[in-house]
Amino acid sequence: METESRKKALQYFFEKIVAPLGFKFTPDAELKDFLLEQEVVLEKKHGIPYCPCQPLRNERARDMRIVCPCIPYNRPYFDSIKRCWCGLFVHQDVTDPDSLPQLPPGDVHS
Amino acid sequence: MKTVTLYTLSTCPWCHKAKKFFTDRHVPFSDTDFDLADQATQAKILKELDAAGATGFPYAKIGDKVIVGYQPDAYAKALSS
Repeated sequence: METESRKKALQYFFEKIVAPLGFKFTPDAELKDFLLEQEVVLEKKHGIPYCPCQPLRNERARDMRIVCPCIPYNRPYFDSIKRCWCGLFVHQDVTDPDSLPQLPPGDVHS
Repeated sequence: MKTVTLYTLSTCPWCHKAKKFFTDRHVPFSDTDFDLADQATQAKILKELDAAGATGFPYAKIGDKVIVGYQPDAYAKALSS
């Protein structure tokens, strides 16, 4: 399937899944387009549209928790930052996704 | 100058931003794309991430500081401290 048509299909399916969970696509159109394209790349490579920002571990149970949209598996974490890891989805009240951190600021270690 | 090492994913826009941060500031860094690496390298990176309690990419080591996620303020602070 062509990349553009698959991106549209993923967008159609994802929208129906994430809306009842209180999320929506990021208003950043460029970011949304890039991430959907990466998911098509990952789907072509692995057969599944995994999160573009999480590592595949070749452990089925863990890898299934990063299949997009992975909100149900990581809800408390995403609620704390109002977005998912890659930023494809944000809380429905978010209008400025650039103001959100990618990860909680506490993730700095020494 | 502090040694900067990045672990990234080729599909992750935040990882692209992290690389751009250091490139724009002419800070030399070494970088490994986890998803394009061989199995042994992937295993080594995962071991390091898990040991640090890291939840995702990009994973930056600046001197003895580890910064998880794209955090430009934290990068700048670690470079200047």
